[in-house]
Amino acid sequence: MTALTVNGRPVRFDIDPQTPLLHALREAANLTGTKYGCGVGDCHACTIIVDGEALRSCLITVAEAEGRQVVTIEGLSPGRTHPVQQALVAEQAIQCGFCTPGIAMAAAALLARNPDPSPSDITAAVPNLCRCGVYPRLVRAIQRAGRVARRVETINAAPAPGIDPGDAARAVPAMDRGA
Amino acid sequence: MDVSRRGLLAGAAIGGGLLVAWGLWPREYGVPLTPGRGEWAYSAWLKLGRDGVLTVAVPQLEMGQGVATLIPQIVAAEMGADWRQVAVEPAPVSGAYANLSLAAKWAPLWMPFAPALADDPRKTIARRWAGESGFMATAEGTSLAAYEAPARDAAAAARAMLCMAAADRWGVSWDECAVRGGVVFHAGKHLSFAALAEEAARQTPPDRPPLLPAPYSEPAVPGGAEAEAEVPFRRLDLPAKVDGSFPFAADIRLPGMLYAAIRHGPIGDTELLGYDEAAGSRVRGVRHVVKARGWIAAVADTWWAAERALEEMAPVWRTSERARSSTIEERLDSALLKGEASRIVTRGDGDSALGTPDVTYRYDIAPATHATLETASATARLADGRLELWLASQAPAQAKAAAGKAVGLSADDVVLYPMAAGGSFDRRLEHDHAIEAAVIAAEIGAPVQLTWSRWQEMVAGRPRAPLACLASAWTAQEDGTPVGLRLRVAMPATVREFGARLFGNRTALAARRVYAGEGPDPLAFEGATTPYAIANVAIDHVPVDVGLPTGRMRGNAPAYLAFVVESFIDELAARVGREPLSFRMALLGADPRLAECLQRAARLAQWDGGASQSGNGIACWRIGDPAGGGPVARIACVATARPGEGGVRVQRLAAAVDLGRIVNRDIARQQVEGGLIFGTSLATGSALRYEAGLPTVSSFAGLGLPTLADSPEISIELISGAGDPADPGEIGVAVAAPAIANALHSATGLRLRRLPLLSEGL
Repeated sequence: MTALTVNGRPVRFDIDPQTPLLHALREAANLTGTKYGCGVGDCHACTIIVDGEALRSCLITVAEAEGRQVVTIEGLSPGRTHPVQQALVAEQAIQCGFCTPGIAMAAAALLARNPDPSPSDITAAVPNLCRCGVYPRLVRAIQRAGRVARRVETINAAPAPGIDPGDAARAVPAMDRGA
Repeated sequence: MDVSRRGLLAGAAIGGGLLVAWGLWPREYGVPLTPGRGEWAYSAWLKLGRDGVLTVAVPQLEMGQGVATLIPQIVAAEMGADWRQVAVEPAPVSGAYANLSLAAKWAPLWMPFAPALADDPRKTIARRWAGESGFMATAEGTSLAAYEAPARDAAAAARAMLCMAAADRWGVSWDECAVRGGVVFHAGKHLSFAALAEEAARQTPPDRPPLLPAPYSEPAVPGGAEAEAEVPFRRLDLPAKVDGSFPFAADIRLPGMLYAAIRHGPIGDTELLGYDEAAGSRVRGVRHVVKARGWIAAVADTWWAAERALEEMAPVWRTSERARSSTIEERLDSALLKGEASRIVTRGDGDSALGTPDVTYRYDIAPATHATLETASATARLADGRLELWLASQAPAQAKAAAGKAVGLSADDVVLYPMAAGGSFDRRLEHDHAIEAAVIAAEIGAPVQLTWSRWQEMVAGRPRAPLACLASAWTAQEDGTPVGLRLRVAMPATVREFGARLFGNRTALAARRVYAGEGPDPLAFEGATTPYAIANVAIDHVPVDVGLPTGRMRGNAPAYLAFVVESFIDELAARVGREPLSFRMALLGADPRLAECLQRAARLAQWDGGASQSGNGIACWRIGDPAGGGPVARIACVATARPGEGGVRVQRLAAAVDLGRIVNRDIARQQVEGGLIFGTSLATGSALRYEAGLPTVSSFAGLGLPTLADSPEISIELISGAGDPADPGEIGVAVAAPAIANALHSATGLRLRRLPLLSEGL
């Protein structure tokens, strides 16, 4: 059994320790937000944050992750509140969404160490492959996320899931049965 | 058309017999939606709940193109709903959502014996066939053409029902009520959709839905700062996509589910000979091995264990007629130079009176892979005589029927849960993985999730067809203007082959053999006559079996034809020292809107005339036929590119686009941006080479795909135009490669006539 911390919780994997962390997360822990795209480190769709660093989970084994702090897209923020998540939605820098979790994790790790990245900092830190072609929006979205992280801008583009019907009714007249 | 005697007899029987039978079949397909508690279905298109949530059913595959926002937006706008109350769900396979536009366009594929009987969406046979077969494929940019009108009808009917319910309460006439923001108003009184949901569902809508005077059209932002402007209808799918909760087919988790990995034999006529069973069984977590003639799957507790087991098992294949690039090139070469051509289309006198052409160049295109990020994935459960499939499919009815047939079930005993796709680019018009998942689930007696490895996606995907083309022109003495154009194209009958797989349920090998050397494939030549006013045009197809199954790809015919034609037009201009923009303008008298795109793109890019060594190149294209009615997409693009370290460096793409009426401008912009980048990837890479039946690259790294660091600066001007809304997804793909090739010619003086561009060297 290999013990590590995933999204703040202690987890023990009863699995072949040579299993790539990607598959331990997806198939054993059912954390399916981390995506398989190639299994050999080319596409970065499986990017997660391990001890603060953006890593490709297809290239780390469960054994190598022992004792480390792992954050997946599911644990990046409560209710999609991370500035990168808000900015990606605000700029509509997402199409099919398959590469999005990996991009969000790479960008979040970048902003954690450099909240005011230049375009070349961003291109260096986000090597993720996107076939739909959201690239023209990424630099802008990540710089915008940086401004949010530095508290010079706020965004409210992606509401938290599970909105209470009562709250919805108060905000949206169409959903208010008393209206 | 070439009609065999056998085909004619079958055609007569089916045409006659079915026409009678069809007359008796139900014409209505009911309401295929299942309302939840406190929710009511108003039609096949929408449900409204007492909580005010308006759920719109979307009968098209969301693969990134935004259709799961567009169709709800059409409903919301027509109905007068508040965008914040709108939810979306994928529609189940049903005749209620027949894609009539595509059924008509693809009549030669599903009714090859007499397509003329069904080549118009209004024709009865097209309607009946599409309805009965539940044909709701997502392809050819037909989503708006097929579904805007029925979605508007449904929304207008629902709006009337809500007004009737409110009018009943108020004792007024329903047609005096107004609807805004999800609220019904009348003379100072108002009631919300939430309050009216239940009563309105019981109303009978008027026979003719009271449509708004005009369909929704998003206004342009004045001042040209559109990329920065607030988006009026934001995409509905993005919040779930940004937190990892948006499920794809490989994210389904079922009780007792196992994971399968697969190996397909080399491309050709392949048979599994054997494998090392003992070595496979030593891998921890392996449960089953499932074999078929051309593939073998391992099933385990994790996908990785299944994949490892396959490696250890080292399956051995007997394969004849292995695909190889040298064979592909030889056959294309031989067909191009010596093969018998069929004429697809003639304009004017064709080439009959013109004699020897003044100029001929040869263009070549290598097989190209889609390289979707998500590999083929399907989840299947077979229990109590019923097969359930979780699948992203562009043609779900056909996938469902094929998977059922493989395990001895009729389509009625198969439930398909439509999942979104992690990119497709027409890759998900194929459904081999659905059949495989069903077979594996049946054999192991447990739910299974099959995911192809990246390598398998390379081996058993269906690349874009390779081609070789001789482009010839007859030019006027004085200024080099073409008066005649001939394209002689050697390529597989790729669309017919695809049709035999999709509609005939043939294997890749069988489909390829059906059409090997058997007549031309007009659907592979859409738009080949070019937008230009060239008096005489002849388009010839030399069908050739290259030993490689091929499939559809984003951009389809416009993408490869635009590369040939727009490169060639540039050469014709350069030959006589004319400026490539004005050379094109002079030929566009019949299409002033495309001429306008050229001028605007030139202005946007500060076009310098494509002067020597500037690195600027221009190209334009259109999809759709202005004379034939229906939507037309037009684009012009200026590319700035140079040879760079290790490849082509595309610095900038500036495009002006006319899509007719635009429903959602930011989605249109996303699609054009993405199309230009996809087109760039076809210009600089995406090619596959084959040795001994296998691709020579096994992952993304060998494909030369653009990343953020290589991504060109992109500027787009959306021109507001009248006319039916055209699809924004494919037009950018068409124009990118020729614009880049023309830019490289300007930068280097070298003319690259081969895709991908680097394969010729710089």
